Amino acid sequence: MKHKITTVIMILLAAFITLGGTTSCKSKKRLAREAAEAEYKARVAEATKDLTAILDDETMWTLEEKENRVQTIKDWNLQNAEVDDLLFQVEKKLARERAQAEQKAEEERKAAEEAAKAKLPKNMLETNLGKIAAAGGTTQANNLINETLQLFESNNVPVLIIISQAGGFNDYDRPTTIENYLNYVKDQKVSRNRVANLKFNENGKITEVELIKK
Amino acid sequence: MRKRVPLILLALMLGISAMPIKAQSVGDFQMDETHLYAMTKQMGQFIRRFNYEEDQFGNKLNPKDPSYRNRQKRQQSLAILFDQQTYGSQPDLQRFFIEDVTSGDSTFMTFLGGRWYSEVSATFKYKGKPVSVIMILGVEKEGLGSKWVLNNIYFSEFNKLFPTGELTEREKHFLHPMSHELDFMNIYKIFKEPEVIEYYASKSFEPDYRTLFFYEIKRGNLVFQNVDTVKFHVFQIKDWYFEVSWFNRSGNNAGWLISNLIYLPEKDKKDLIKFYEP
Amino acid sequence: MKKILALLAIVLFVGGTAMAQEEIDFERKQAIDSLALEKVRDLSKYIKIVGSKETAWSEANRVIDRAEELFMTNAEIGVSSLHSTKIKYYKVRPYFEHLMRLNYDRVEIEWYNIEYVSDLQRQPDGTYVGVITIFQTFRGYDKEGNLAYKDTTKKDITVYVKRKETQIGGRMIGFWDVLLGDMRVKETANK
Repeated sequence: MKHKITTVIMILLAAFITLGGTTSCKSKKRLAREAAEAEYKARVAEATKDLTAILDDETMWTLEEKENRVQTIKDWNLQNAEVDDLLFQVEKKLARERAQAEQKAEEERKAAEEAAKAKLPKNMLETNLGKIAAAGGTTQANNLINETLQLFESNNVPVLIIISQAGGFNDYDRPTTIENYLNYVKDQKVSRNRVANLKFNENGKITEVELIKK
Repeated sequence: MRKRVPLILLALMLGISAMPIKAQSVGDFQMDETHLYAMTKQMGQFIRRFNYEEDQFGNKLNPKDPSYRNRQKRQQSLAILFDQQTYGSQPDLQRFFIEDVTSGDSTFMTFLGGRWYSEVSATFKYKGKPVSVIMILGVEKEGLGSKWVLNNIYFSEFNKLFPTGELTEREKHFLHPMSHELDFMNIYKIFKEPEVIEYYASKSFEPDYRTLFFYEIKRGNLVFQNVDTVKFHVFQIKDWYFEVSWFNRSGNNAGWLISNLIYLPEKDKKDLIKFYEP
Repeated sequence: MKKILALLAIVLFVGGTAMAQEEIDFERKQAIDSLALEKVRDLSKYIKIVGSKETAWSEANRVIDRAEELFMTNAEIGVSSLHSTKIKYYKVRPYFEHLMRLNYDRVEIEWYNIEYVSDLQRQPDGTYVGVITIFQTFRGYDKEGNLAYKDTTKKDITVYVKRKETQIGGRMIGFWDVLLGDMRVKETANK
């Protein structure tokens, strides 16, 4: 009797396990499918939201972050028509922004390069003007003048001296040449003006000087 | 006793008590510049001080500056424009003048305002002998600006040629109204008395000394040597006439200063101005 | 066509008149005054260099060239003393050469700080003219170092200021051309 009950229980147990196993396997698949569908839907929604926000400039992301986000969405390979259309528009927009950013970076780089380039001769010129004014004798002053003239395209480079900027425009003294101006500083033994502006040729030589009262 | 009021005004104006003396060191020498700042160095400065258009150091004031032409400051500025050796003893006249020109309808002097003249006393050689000639010049507008022009000449030799003469004597000299019927045969007589020949001119005749002056210069009879003195006669200010002369002396009362001041109502000016602007 | 020409003539006339009556504002006037003063200070420096016995002859001559460039052609320097109103006239170069030849062993020329700038008045041709007044002391010493001569002079220097244009780097630049004119040198009673 005992043996029969055990067997029945065993058979029942086996059946239960078998049947129960068959039932959980089906649920898992269903669950997995449902989960995948949910995930897909969520991704589509997220992708749509993000891409729309990028198109409408409603994000605080940098260009690089936007590009990364787009790449992530592409990697999802959602094959959704709406998302694909948004991707197309966003990629076009980001390509434009990338081009603009690169152009700006190039301009900034050039400006920095120009500024660095201009700074050096400007400093040298101002320093030398002071040295010429303070020179101990004619020989020393003349040597400094010759050294300074090396910065220029020629000895006749025009020098403009701003005497006033009242009224929103420059009033100038009579224009002179750099050679005359340096000799004037030597004779007067005083350097009254500082460099306001310099123009250069493609070889980095100064082609025009604008001075202003210190 | 000479009253010291104007000098105190001067001191206040220059802020001598409040400020350090303007000086610079040169080698072993301390150069005190206070008197140079006090000096009215140019006639243009006289005008600017008259109007209070610059401060006591000669810095021009911006017309937008509240001090520009400020009445009180102008009164102080006017006080230092007098030759104190002449006017130090006439403080009332100075005060009256200052009050009057800084009253409600203030009178300011302007370069192009007219009715002010230069009297230039110069040495010439007249037929080889040194003589003194006075040239009166005025400012005349022309083109984009102005210039000094000769208005009149005073030369004693010219004036001697044209004495005023008594009316009774002038009335004795005339060409009668029927002289024309005799071909003016009597006209030779007027040339026998060259010293009164101008009596035979029309009533409106007035000798023009400038023409005589230019004539003598052109003929080489009158040759310029040098300028001796310059002074200015100002009739521009309402009811006043004053003369401005150069005082070359040390101290704080030097330069171009009022050397003569007369209260002269406008109606009385016309006849006097005729000599300066005939 | 005639109407256009007439209109153009009116526009040019009005424009020209407007320029002729151009009133320079206070700040610009101050800047022009400073510029004129700078030329006078340059001149003072040159006088000091040329008058100094320590300046080599060739150097002095070079500086006289610079000084001449400050002046208009035919500018004259009129000098008188306390004792006589008679003015002795020099052209610029001879004045400087006379300064160079003064017979002292050592010379000290100094300028007072005070500089008085007149208003600028316009001449008939539109050029502005002004006068700047400065004061100089001159001391001459003999071989033994004794003060042989001293005077203080008032110098009234004419300045001419004209608005001009020139082409620099392919564009028109307007500038103020300042030149010195006659200079009156008068001894003062201040010692």
